[in-house]
Amino acid sequence: MSKSKLLSVNDLSISFSSNSGEKDIIKHISYTLYENEILGIVGESGSGKSVSSLAILGLLPNKISKITSGEIVFNNLDLTKLKPKAFEHIRGNDIAMIFQEPMSSLNPSMTCGKQVSEIILKHTTLSKTEAKAETLSLFEKVKLPLPERVFSAYPHEISGGQKQRVMIAMAIACKPKILIADEPTTALDVTVQKEIIKLLKELQKNEGMSIIFISHDLALVSEISNRIVVMYKGEIVEQGDVNTVFKTPEHIYTKALINSKPSLDVRLKTLPTISDFINKTTDYTVVSTEERQITHKTIYSKPPLLEIVNLEKEYFSKSGWFSKPTVFKAVNNVSFKLYSGETLGLVGESGCGKSTLANAILLLDKASAGKILYNGVDINTLSKSKIRALRKDIQIIFQDPYASLNPRLPIGKAIMEPMKVHRIGTSNNERKEKVMDLLERVGLDNDSFYKYPHEFSGGQRQRVGIARAIALQPKLIICDESVSALDISVQAQVLNLLNELKENFNFTYIFISHDLSVVKYMSDQLVVMNKGEIEEMNDADEIYNSPQKEYTKKLIHAIPKGL
Amino acid sequence: MSKNSNSLTQLALQKFKKNFWGVLSFWLIVAIGLVSVFAYVLAPDNSQNANQMHLTIHSKKPGFKVNILTIPSEINNDQSFLSKIFYGEKNTDTEIPISEFKADNDKLVYAEYASDGLIGVEKEIALSTFPNQDFKPFIKERTFLFGTDKYGRDLLSRVLIGSRISFFIGFIAVFISLVVGIFMGSLAGYFGGVVDTIVMFIINVTWSIPTLLLVIAIILALDKGFWQVFIAVGLTMWVEVARVVRGQVISVKEMQYVTAAKALGYTDFRIVTRHILPNIMAPIIVISAANFAAAILIESGLSFLGIGAQPPMASWGAMIKDHYNYIILGKPYLAIIPGLCIMILVMAFMLIGNSLRDALDVKN
Repeated sequence: MSKSKLLSVNDLSISFSSNSGEKDIIKHISYTLYENEILGIVGESGSGKSVSSLAILGLLPNKISKITSGEIVFNNLDLTKLKPKAFEHIRGNDIAMIFQEPMSSLNPSMTCGKQVSEIILKHTTLSKTEAKAETLSLFEKVKLPLPERVFSAYPHEISGGQKQRVMIAMAIACKPKILIADEPTTALDVTVQKEIIKLLKELQKNEGMSIIFISHDLALVSEISNRIVVMYKGEIVEQGDVNTVFKTPEHIYTKALINSKPSLDVRLKTLPTISDFINKTTDYTVVSTEERQITHKTIYSKPPLLEIVNLEKEYFSKSGWFSKPTVFKAVNNVSFKLYSGETLGLVGESGCGKSTLANAILLLDKASAGKILYNGVDINTLSKSKIRALRKDIQIIFQDPYASLNPRLPIGKAIMEPMKVHRIGTSNNERKEKVMDLLERVGLDNDSFYKYPHEFSGGQRQRVGIARAIALQPKLIICDESVSALDISVQAQVLNLLNELKENFNFTYIFISHDLSVVKYMSDQLVVMNKGEIEEMNDADEIYNSPQKEYTKKLIHAIPKGL
Repeated sequence: MSKNSNSLTQLALQKFKKNFWGVLSFWLIVAIGLVSVFAYVLAPDNSQNANQMHLTIHSKKPGFKVNILTIPSEINNDQSFLSKIFYGEKNTDTEIPISEFKADNDKLVYAEYASDGLIGVEKEIALSTFPNQDFKPFIKERTFLFGTDKYGRDLLSRVLIGSRISFFIGFIAVFISLVVGIFMGSLAGYFGGVVDTIVMFIINVTWSIPTLLLVIAIILALDKGFWQVFIAVGLTMWVEVARVVRGQVISVKEMQYVTAAKALGYTDFRIVTRHILPNIMAPIIVISAANFAAAILIESGLSFLGIGAQPPMASWGAMIKDHYNYIILGKPYLAIIPGLCIMILVMAFMLIGNSLRDALDVKN
C-alpha cells in the first residue's frame, strides 16, 4: 500500500544549552508520517520523544534550544525555518496537539464549551450560534455524555477522562491533518485509557487524519499504531511496521523494553533488565504454581502480622455555613489479614481509597472507625510516643522519590537521620558504615553518601528512598505506587531489588499500584478495591485467571496487552 | 569542602555572585556596616555623638574652612582606648572658630569668627592655659567636608555616627521580628486548626494598627529612648514574617518529604526545624531584607517625629528633622545629605533582597 507522505523529518538534530554547555538532545533522526495512519513513538523519559514533536509545532523554548541540523517538511514547507507568525496558521489548523495533563491544559475559569468554540471562532468564519452547534457536534464526536451539560460546565465539574475528551474535541475542532498526542492517557486510569484509545482510533478512521501517538508504554502504542518508532537517548533505534517491531525486535533496547514489563502469563523469578540483554544474562527461571503454594503454606500457618477489621475513613466537606456537611467515605468497611513474609497487592483506580488505606495503616491520617491490629495490638489507640516507636516497624516507599527527599539534605544524612532518631547504632561512625552498606545493597556507589537528591536520576532516587525505608529494619513496608513514576526498564530493576531485599531481610510488603500487571507479578494475595470497598480478594494468580466480579474483569480487560 | 559543592545553598550562592547589583549592594552594606562600627575612628570630630558645637559657624556649606582654636580643658580624661574608639572621646575642650589671632606677651589675642563679613569680638586668653605656653598646635585650619549643621557641628561626623542607629535598628528589629515571626508562623502553619485561628487573630489585630501608631504606643509604654525604638520596631514587624512563614509552612507541610519524615517517626520539633524551615529560608531571607529597609525607614520616621533617638545622639532621621526647614532657606544639603544616606542604605537592602530572591529560586 503506497501512501503519500504528509510530514517528513529528515536528519533532525536539536541541542539544548545550559550553564554547562550545549547538549544534543536529538541526534540525527529521520522519520516519515504518511496520510491516514497512526505513528507511534515509544521511548523512556529523556529519550527526546516529546522534544521532537514540539519541534514540529515550533514550540521549543527558543532561548535554550536550537535546531542544529535537518528539516521538517510539511506541505513543501520546511517547518524549522518558518517565522513564528506563519506558525500560527499551521498550529491548530493543520497540526494540533493534545497534552498529557488534561487537568492543567484547560482554563479553570472558562466553561468547556466556551473554550472549544473560542478556537472555532478564531480559525473559521462561523457565527457564534454556528460555532456553538459545531462545538456540540464535536462533543458528540468525542462521545462526551450529555454534550449540552459539558458545554456549560467548568473544567472542575467533569472527570479526568471527560477533560481529555474536551481536549481532543479542541484539537480536532479545525479538522487538522495531523494530531500529535503526547502521552494523552498517562494521567488516566486504565479503564478510561482504553476508552480514549478507542476514541482516537475511531476519530482517525472517520476523519482520515494522521496521528502521532507518543507514549512510554510499548504495549499501549502497539495496540493503536500502524507503525512504530522506538527512540533511545535521542536516537531512533528501530522503526517499522508495528507487527515486525513488536514480534521480531531487532535492537537490544526494543527487546528489553518488550520484556521488562512483567508478563501476565508467567511469573519470572527476576525480571529481565536492559543490562541483562546487553550482557546476555537474562534469567528465565519461572516460579511454578507448586513452589508458590509451598511458600504460601508456611506463610499462612503463622498468626497474621497485621489485621484490618472493618476499617472506615470518612471525610467531611462543608459547602455552606448552614448546610449539612456531606460525608464522603474514602474507605468503607475494609477487612483483611496480612501475614509475615507475604506481599499483599492492592489494586484499584485513582480515588478508590488505596492510598487513604495506606495512610491509615501508617497512622498518618487516622481512620474514623474500625481496628488496625499489628501483632494483635490495636494501633489506633496507642499513645503518641508508642506510635513513634511503632513507626520503626512500618515504613513506606513513596511514588515520587524526588518529592519524598528533603532537597537540602545530602543522601547520607537523610538515611542516617532516622537511624539516629530511633537509636539504631551507637555512634555516627557506626551509622555511617551501615548507610554505606545499605547504599551498596540497593545498588548505589559510596559517593552517593555526599550527593544531593537533585544529582540523581529517577531510578537512583527510588533506590535512595528504599534504602532510607529499610535503614530502620522495618517489618512491614508499604509501597505506595513506588514504581509508577519510573520508566519500564528502571521499574524492572526496582521490582527485582524489592524482591531481593524481601528474601534477604524477610520483609512483608503491601504493594499498592494502579498497574495490575505489576501488582500481579509482585503479590501473593491480591486485593481489588473500588470506591472505598474491597471488590475482590484472593490469590493473585487466581484473581487474574478467574475474576469473579464485573469490575475486576473490566480492569483486567483494560490492561494494554500489546499484540 | 568539594563534597558539598552541589548543595542548593552553594548553587544559590554561585548564582548570587553573578548578579552585579546584588554583589554591589552586598559590599555597600558591608562598607556601611564597617563605617558604623568604626565611626569614631573615621569621623573628623570624634567627640561623643560628634557633639562639638561651634555656634558661630552654624549651617555652613560643604567644604567650609575655618581656623579653630582649641582651649584645652582642665578636667582629666581617663577614658580607655577601646571606649574612645567605640563610644567616642568624652571631650570637654572648648573649640572656638577664629578669624585672626596674635600672641601678645603672655596672652593670646584672637578675633572670633563671624559670618557675612562682620568682624567678630576680640578676646584674649592667658598663654598659661596651653602646655609649655605653646599655642601653635592648638590652632588648626579645619575643613568641614559636608558643612556644619545648625549648631555648628560637623555634618560628616554626624552622618558617619548616625549610620550606627540606622544600621543597628535594622539588625535588631529584623532579629526580633525573625524570632517572634518564625515561631508564631510555624506554630500556626504546622499545627493549623485552633492554633492557626488564634495566631491569625493576633496577626490580624496587630496588622490593623497603623505601624507608626503602634510603635508610638510601645515607646510610650517602654519610655522614650533608643533601645525602646529598636524593640518597638521589631515587635511591629514580626507580623509580616509570621504571615510569610505560615503560608510557606502550610505549602511545604504538604510536600512528601514531610510526610516521609512523619512516617519515619520524627518528632514535630525535628520536622519543623530540620525539614521545613531550611526549605523556606528563601522567602524568609527575602522578607528580612525588605524588613531591614522598612525598619530603617520607620526609625527615621520616628526620629523625624522626635520620638526616636534623643538628642544629642546622631540619627539620620533626626538630622532631617533638624534641618528640613533649611530646604527653603537655600541650604538643602543639610537635609539632603542624610536623606541620600537613608536612600542608599534602603536601596542596597532592597536590591540585595531582589537578587537573593532570584538566586535562591533554584529550580533544577
